Amino acid sequence: MDGADGTVRVKPGRGFETETDVAVSSPVTRQKAAAAKQFIENHYKNYLQGLHERMERRREFQRKVQEAQLPVEEQDEMMRNLARRETEYMRLQRRKIGIDDFELLTVIGKGAFGEVRLCRLRSTSEVYAMKKLKKTEMLSRGQVEHVRSERNLLAEVDSRYIVKLFYSFQDSECLYLIMEYLPGGDIMTLLMREDILSEDVARFYIAESILAIHSIHQHNYVHRDIKPDNLILDKSGHLKLSDFGLCKPLDDKYSSLLLEDDEMLSQDSENQSGKSDADKAPWQMPKEQLLQWKRNRRALAYSTVGTLDYMAPEVLLKKGYGMECDWWSLGAILYEMLVGYPPFCSDDPRITCRKIINWRVCLKFPEEPKISDEARDLICRLLCDVDSRLGTRGVEEIKSHPWFKGTPWDKLYDMEAAYRPIVDGELDTQNFEKFPEVEGSPSEAPQVGPWRKMLTSKDTNFIGFTFKKSDITRSMESSGSADMKSNGSGEAPSLISLLGRINMEEGEGGELNHKT
Amino acid sequence: MSLFGLGRNQKTFRPKKSAPSGSKGAQLRKHIDATLGSGNLREAVRLPPGEDANEWLAVNTVDFFNQVNLLYGTLTEFCTPDNCPTMTAGPKYEYRWADGVQIKKPIEVSAPKYVEYLMDWIETQLDDETLFPQRLGAPFPQNFKDVVKTIFKRLFRVYAHIYHSHFQKIVSLKEEAHLNTCFKHFILFTHEFGLIDKKELAPLQELIESIISPY
Repeated sequence: MDGADGTVRVKPGRGFETETDVAVSSPVTRQKAAAAKQFIENHYKNYLQGLHERMERRREFQRKVQEAQLPVEEQDEMMRNLARRETEYMRLQRRKIGIDDFELLTVIGKGAFGEVRLCRLRSTSEVYAMKKLKKTEMLSRGQVEHVRSERNLLAEVDSRYIVKLFYSFQDSECLYLIMEYLPGGDIMTLLMREDILSEDVARFYIAESILAIHSIHQHNYVHRDIKPDNLILDKSGHLKLSDFGLCKPLDDKYSSLLLEDDEMLSQDSENQSGKSDADKAPWQMPKEQLLQWKRNRRALAYSTVGTLDYMAPEVLLKKGYGMECDWWSLGAILYEMLVGYPPFCSDDPRITCRKIINWRVCLKFPEEPKISDEARDLICRLLCDVDSRLGTRGVEEIKSHPWFKGTPWDKLYDMEAAYRPIVDGELDTQNFEKFPEVEGSPSEAPQVGPWRKMLTSKDTNFIGFTFKKSDITRSMESSGSADMKSNGSGEAPSLISLLGRINMEEGEGGELNHKT
Repeated sequence: MSLFGLGRNQKTFRPKKSAPSGSKGAQLRKHIDATLGSGNLREAVRLPPGEDANEWLAVNTVDFFNQVNLLYGTLTEFCTPDNCPTMTAGPKYEYRWADGVQIKKPIEVSAPKYVEYLMDWIETQLDDETLFPQRLGAPFPQNFKDVVKTIFKRLFRVYAHIYHSHFQKIVSLKEEAHLNTCFKHFILFTHEFGLIDKKELAPLQELIESIISPY
């Protein structure tokens, strides 16, 4: 020991401390340990994978450079250029990111746990949607696992059908998810504006929803909260899925309400005759009540309870459920697109619950608007028992339903969307509801505390939440280099195409042109 | 003069031949095999081709800081001023705190206080743009490796304290594989880049030999 800073000294010999009394640790300590272990496991998985990918990138780059048959000096220069980009990327990874790095703009959504607002990353001027979630709310409402699953899913899945997550971070009060901003608004807004959709438009958006839902199912995630306000449109009108893992587990008060009338649960369609107004199918509700529901739907969507209209009966009853519950939700959305309201809607959530559980009796179709037999059949085969529900045996059985005949599944996202939203510039929020600024100016956000040291009992729940999109190609784009171009697709392009240094086309002499 | 301007007369380390040895090291050595099976860490510590050495040191320093911070953070219920009135690494070694700025003369503090000082000090270094530049293109200082060496030397002391004073707690929390993986990685990295003097590693010498010798 060099002792240069005077901090080490030898103690006289005494026996080793054996410390045999391993006291039972407190729940807080066990929680900290679990979080630390999870973080370390994830860290090493990502760390080693990152190094492997880096080696692969270099190998692939080297191969392409050699194939291009450039002079050795130019090959060396290009390899140095790649190394420089990797170095820049590492520095970006090390750079801490926080709320102060963003200019906070318009609020475009509010919920029980926080808000979503437009923001701009100061360093690059890129526009994002920032979801801000209050830690205390998340904890008190038991949402920690849900937000963790959202962050994990978004960090893990790179799909064109899913809203991209670019960063996540936290301060002492809140969690932040920085996601791509989709200015086209959500399907709920579209439905409120259009009332009903034509079958062609509905088919297009249901088909895109199927691809989106299937893409998360492939990663073994169940959404559980598919609803029109979680289906968001980009500027060209294509659909992406959002809001993963934030569905609220049904309050116990609802569970008891569901079960308080055992007779009702056991009755089937034959012996259900005398029904109160409240238990009528939605199309039998008085017009004023339906209008009232439509007026209230936005408020309900943002409430603590959230909307139950699209939840599968097995989720409501807290039975075991799997990915099939998402296909039920899709059936309910299709019904709403074609009929104008969800199949089991009511202005009282308890009644909605009862109707969903008694779907055999309550699922009916009004005479107007008319819908095709195929559409009706598809709805009935989605809003049914798990065992007979389409999608339970794989997505293909939904895609091959007659209603989708002629749907170009592989080209959906490349063709023109069924509806093109009006979007005037990257900051346009006209397709979202206007929200008043309530909590003072955005600048009053809590200051970021010690950014690396978050081990209070509250923060332990959120260890490992921080994330940066580990896409070197993206970091290269934002490194201020003029020769970096994004290819716009969900897949990472090759570094050759990104670096833009080689034109991979034959020149006049049959050689590859070198771009400077 | 040292990095912090403390004279050689402040040196307080003098080996005691009479101090017991062996049992604790051998005991820990048995446990070091429990790891997460995290691939080839020996390969993982090497400087990637074409990479800037300072950048590689910097990004790994942040990672190791986070790991030590998390691992020690799980022990705060047990590592208290009552249980650990001084910062020790077994019966032979005691650490005193000095940062050369706020606290120039080494002071004896409890282990939790020492770790708090240490982590705050490291965090100050990591947040200092002149030492750990975050803006693209900003250069590292000339003495960057010395800064990193001091950070690693001090992080090692937390590991030494954990292994000597709290390893049973780590086992009871089923964290030994995680601790061992982080420590192995830490030691292989310091070995690869010569970041900690051999005599500073003495409190966990047997453990370290078992990590390095197979290679």
